[in-house]
Amino acid sequence: MGIAKTLASSGVVLAIAGAAWAEELTVSAWGGFFEETLAAEIYPGFTAETGITVNSIAQPEDSAWMTQLMAAARAGQAPADLSLVVDEVLIRGNEVGLWAELDPANMAGTESLIDGYVKLNDAGNAFAVGALAFYTTFVTNTDYAADAPASWAELWEDKWDGKLGIVTAPNSGLMEVTAETFFGGVEIMETREGLEQVIAKIAELKPQVSLWYRDEGQFQQQLENGELNAGLYYHDVTMLSIWDGLPVASTFPAEGGIVSDAYWVVPRDSENVEAAEKFLDYMSRPETQALMARMMGTTPIVPRDTMDLTEEEFAAVGSDIEPIRVQTHIHLREGDWLETKYQEMIAQ
Amino acid sequence: MIRTPSFAPRLIGGLAFAVMAIFFVIPLLFMIVVSFYQPDPMGFYKEAFVFENYGKFFSSFYYTVSFRSILSSGLGAVIVVALAFPLVLFVSDLSRRLQLFWIILLLSMMCLSEVIIGFAWLILMSESAGLPRLLEWMGLWENPRSLSPSFGAMMIGLVFLGFSIVALILYPSVARRDRSIEEAAVTLGTPPALVFFKVLLPTFRTSLSSVTLTMFVYLLGVFVMPTMLGRPKDWTMTVIISDKALGDANLPLGAALAVVMLIVTIIVLVASALLTRRRGA
Repeated sequence: MGIAKTLASSGVVLAIAGAAWAEELTVSAWGGFFEETLAAEIYPGFTAETGITVNSIAQPEDSAWMTQLMAAARAGQAPADLSLVVDEVLIRGNEVGLWAELDPANMAGTESLIDGYVKLNDAGNAFAVGALAFYTTFVTNTDYAADAPASWAELWEDKWDGKLGIVTAPNSGLMEVTAETFFGGVEIMETREGLEQVIAKIAELKPQVSLWYRDEGQFQQQLENGELNAGLYYHDVTMLSIWDGLPVASTFPAEGGIVSDAYWVVPRDSENVEAAEKFLDYMSRPETQALMARMMGTTPIVPRDTMDLTEEEFAAVGSDIEPIRVQTHIHLREGDWLETKYQEMIAQ
Repeated sequence: MIRTPSFAPRLIGGLAFAVMAIFFVIPLLFMIVVSFYQPDPMGFYKEAFVFENYGKFFSSFYYTVSFRSILSSGLGAVIVVALAFPLVLFVSDLSRRLQLFWIILLLSMMCLSEVIIGFAWLILMSESAGLPRLLEWMGLWENPRSLSPSFGAMMIGLVFLGFSIVALILYPSVARRDRSIEEAAVTLGTPPALVFFKVLLPTFRTSLSSVTLTMFVYLLGVFVMPTMLGRPKDWTMTVIISDKALGDANLPLGAALAVVMLIVTIIVLVASALLTRRRGA
């Protein structure tokens, strides 16, 4: 709450500053490499074109950020004019009217996005625009696992010496991976009995898992120094480690990598909706998407033929294998029941 | 002699009360109110008055986890005090200069953030860089394994975290204790080795038990050590509450669990206070 209030009051300050200078946008993105690279490499092009300065701020992990946005909205404030969120936050926020409505006519660039990346609410108005996609893959330390895993099923094999690192949250994609690999598809997740079967299968991993992580930094550090041999992790960050010469690999198994989408939303109380629309127009263009792929390792969400990415550059940020998608609607529908079942499985 | 009007102390007392009310009681009341709200997985929460969140505490594994939290913070508190008290006794008999050194050392230990301590222990106990590697090099451990995550690793983290606090709380009274009682005991034939058990422990019984309780409550609220150094089996209620409130954005359930933990803590505190008083009488 304290943080939320501080953020909310800084929102006021920023809103006032915004009114005085008119052409400034506060944009928030996940803190760390993401936010830093966006600010250093991507936003300057937008400022050069429009004259609108971007004030880039770091935001915390998704649900914590949503809680802060929610608290700020209750106070009639917007901590940022634009925010990068995953679909779960997007849907929950839309349900309680947290996002401002956007006019697609002001964002011609969004037409180049793959269909479905401009989110419309029940009234048919846009409330979110796709920002980027990112993969979670089967990552390994190559000093201990020389061969790239061919299938997700290898996660269940007895060869990891108890040195796997797995995400604690149920919406990491592991449930979908398990459903695809062992139960013939995500359809099994439609019923609670099915979900219980999937969770029971994941429970078989427990003797092999030495780290159930919340904190990405801890996983990455331990994978890089060999303390962990394999696990689930972000493809883009792993690629950066590979480029730094660290002994890690990111593999898209035969069943596919786990893809997640991130969207830009404008909090309801932002006073800079017009400038935000210009920003979204810029960020949706194939050139910007290609630049983000090169600089940040994220997967573009415009058709591949509209960009000038080389074969090699594309292979670094994605895969032609049909991806596995996190079934956000199931996670939201089953909410607390699923979260508790999952946590119980891990912690008991 | 003219009695000075007691206005100033009252003003100070009133101010302290106001600060407590604003920064402690109001958030607490807000938390209690939220714990009765209806969580909404599609949105956030709805203002309502339901017992659903409290019902979940008994219907699921939260029960086991709270028991586990009480055990590990209780054990941690006892270990901290058992280690810190002898050290403080030892330090109090040193020269002024050395005492100052220890105090500064303890104070600087207190300045370290939980995360830094956690990471330091993580590296110390890792098989690639830490103690296991050292033991292998010394030929004492053939096939070294990482010592964390484990219950022991978490305990070490908790004890490290609480150690300086307990030592600094105990130091003033231990340093000023009446040493003639110990001398008298020795003169009257108590073996020096037993002075600790026969004289010092009884003398400091009250402050030791109160500092143990303080430590117990403090360790109950630690988040980083269980997540960083403990296994999922060692996760405490604090971890579960933050997962619910922050990870799942389910504030009502998080608040309800926190209220239950608060009540459990109060029960434990009152019970142990009563027990010590009875034993003292």
